[in-house]
Amino acid sequence: VTTVRARIAALLLGVASVAWAAAPPRAGWPGFTLFIAALCVVMGSLRLAMLDVAEPEEALFMSPAERSARSTVLLVRLLPWEEISCVAIVLLEVLHGSRPWHTAVLGVILAGYLMAVHVAESGATASTLLRRHARVLMTAACVLALSAGATLLPASPGAGAAILHVLAAAAVIAAAILILPG
Amino acid sequence: VTRAAPDAPTRLAEDLAGDPSARVVIQREVAVRWRPSRHSRRLLTLALASLALAILTRRPELAGLAAPGLLLLGTGRITAADGDGAAGPGDGDPRPRTVTVRVKMGAIRIFEGEPGWTDLSVSGVDACDVRWDFHPGTGIEPEGPLTVTVDAPGVPGGAGQEVCVRFRFSAPRWGKRQAGAAELVLHDRWRLTEGRVLIALPALDVFPRPGVQQDTVTLSRLPNRLGEHAARVQGEGAEFAGVRDYVPGDRQRQVNWPASTRRGRLMVNMQPAERSQDVALLVDATSDVGEPGTSALDFGLRGACAAARAHLDRRDRVGVIMYQWGGARWLAPSLGRRQVYKIVDAMLQADAAWSRGSPLARLPRAALPPGALVVAFSPLLDQRFVESLRDLRERGFALIVVDVLNVSPPAPRFGPAGRTDDLARRLWRMEQDAIRFSLRELGVPVVHWDGMGPLDLPLAPYSRRPLVQRSLRPAAASQADGPGERR
Repeated sequence: VTTVRARIAALLLGVASVAWAAAPPRAGWPGFTLFIAALCVVMGSLRLAMLDVAEPEEALFMSPAERSARSTVLLVRLLPWEEISCVAIVLLEVLHGSRPWHTAVLGVILAGYLMAVHVAESGATASTLLRRHARVLMTAACVLALSAGATLLPASPGAGAAILHVLAAAAVIAAAILILPG
Repeated sequence: VTRAAPDAPTRLAEDLAGDPSARVVIQREVAVRWRPSRHSRRLLTLALASLALAILTRRPELAGLAAPGLLLLGTGRITAADGDGAAGPGDGDPRPRTVTVRVKMGAIRIFEGEPGWTDLSVSGVDACDVRWDFHPGTGIEPEGPLTVTVDAPGVPGGAGQEVCVRFRFSAPRWGKRQAGAAELVLHDRWRLTEGRVLIALPALDVFPRPGVQQDTVTLSRLPNRLGEHAARVQGEGAEFAGVRDYVPGDRQRQVNWPASTRRGRLMVNMQPAERSQDVALLVDATSDVGEPGTSALDFGLRGACAAARAHLDRRDRVGVIMYQWGGARWLAPSLGRRQVYKIVDAMLQADAAWSRGSPLARLPRAALPPGALVVAFSPLLDQRFVESLRDLRERGFALIVVDVLNVSPPAPRFGPAGRTDDLARRLWRMEQDAIRFSLRELGVPVVHWDGMGPLDLPLAPYSRRPLVQRSLRPAAASQADGPGERR
């Protein structure tokens, strides 16, 4: 039951992150990226759902149904769907030009998606895992909020100001890593 | 305890070669290979993609998306470098370089459908989460979960210092099978790296599930060897055969006093001698028709197992001949409980194929003692096997054929069966009937067994009384040797 819950949670968080990054829907490149992200989330969920399914053995005389089932299993396990979906979702967020707080919320959802995928994949106990990671995840949430807040501060016009903002956010993350002893 | 090479998968099966014990326990210290986990790769991908897009698009809020991944990865690296107090190999890294793995097999010889299990335990993984994955081999069906996860056994509230799991499985069809492999996956505290150990499980001998047979077919002429079958000649057996007049030399304990009192003279009991017989089980492995699990070869092997058990229980000497393409394998008749397993082992080598050499035209003398009872299990589809049966009969062996053919040619897959199909099926049936009729004409009983019920039912007409071994009539022999019969 725990594994099934984790798989459903991973699917829901994946759908939520895609929907959050894709709203409002647009045609063109955003539409194509949305298709890729949604496909990867679905395929990733299928991979998690079929984790317990043993790879069908290749036999000499396989029926079309057996052959298609084997091809489906192999296809689902072919690519790292979650990693592709993460890149596609971030790209989708970029193409939509959202506000900073919107991106920060997306970061929280994506982190939850990746944790849920790991729990569903490894069979780990979610409560134990989250208890161990609580401090780091809380710090990450604070860093997300800080980076979003820093972006909202007024800055002087020019190309250098945006680069400085990026460097400031990266510095905050590095500082957070250094102050966390584990 | 031995140490395995770091890069080679642990081959425990090699240690078990020739180990006849039912339960097998192997203990070994194995090296662990640590690699970044998929979780860490996903976090790194998210972080790198976010940072790259932040720089390319000059949007600093995207750099924040990298925070969870980078924080977890950085914390994991710092923890691994400093050590977190757990026992390590000496360099402060809490991840163990070697662990002690113990594999216990419930049995390495099981029957079809019989449940089997293997216990796996690992020790020396104090600060790591443990996951066991079971990868069943070909022909092995798992019964239960394929993955078992145990959170760090060394932490308070954990499972203890040794993590033990049990995987259950079954083998639906006979044969020599690889049980599969077990994979031990260790996760560090942050689940950023994982260590894997692949353990090959021992091979399994899956025996055919024996049919049910209580009664045995007994020959009328038995060799002069002590056994449990009542012979026609008088001897020192336990069964009562009648009374006769006392003659000097008879033992006093054989005197039948009630009969002596009635007749007014001394009468003694008569007992038949108790003899054993030689039985050769002949299994036709040249053709295997039907669905796997209920094919002719499956029924043949199950019937042969049942017959071997029943005859060996009666102290008969039993051997087996596997008639197959490329020659015949045989096991000379012998006595005892171990002979059952030897016979099954010999039968496991049976291989139904179509194109590897030709079968023997004449069965070997060494496998057929003179005067032996031959019980053949065959679908009688191969004409050369039928010729071998005729040859056996001409050589004077008492023969019984158990017909295990339970399928007929399939109907056309698409569309209704045409007149040609019906005609072909009818011709095939007539040919099969002709084969069985010709064997019966030679004095070879042919009984049909459906593979499901007891073997006693079809053999009942021949197990109630001794099987009379008649020599062939000249006419029948010449008919069998006719030009139209032999190929």
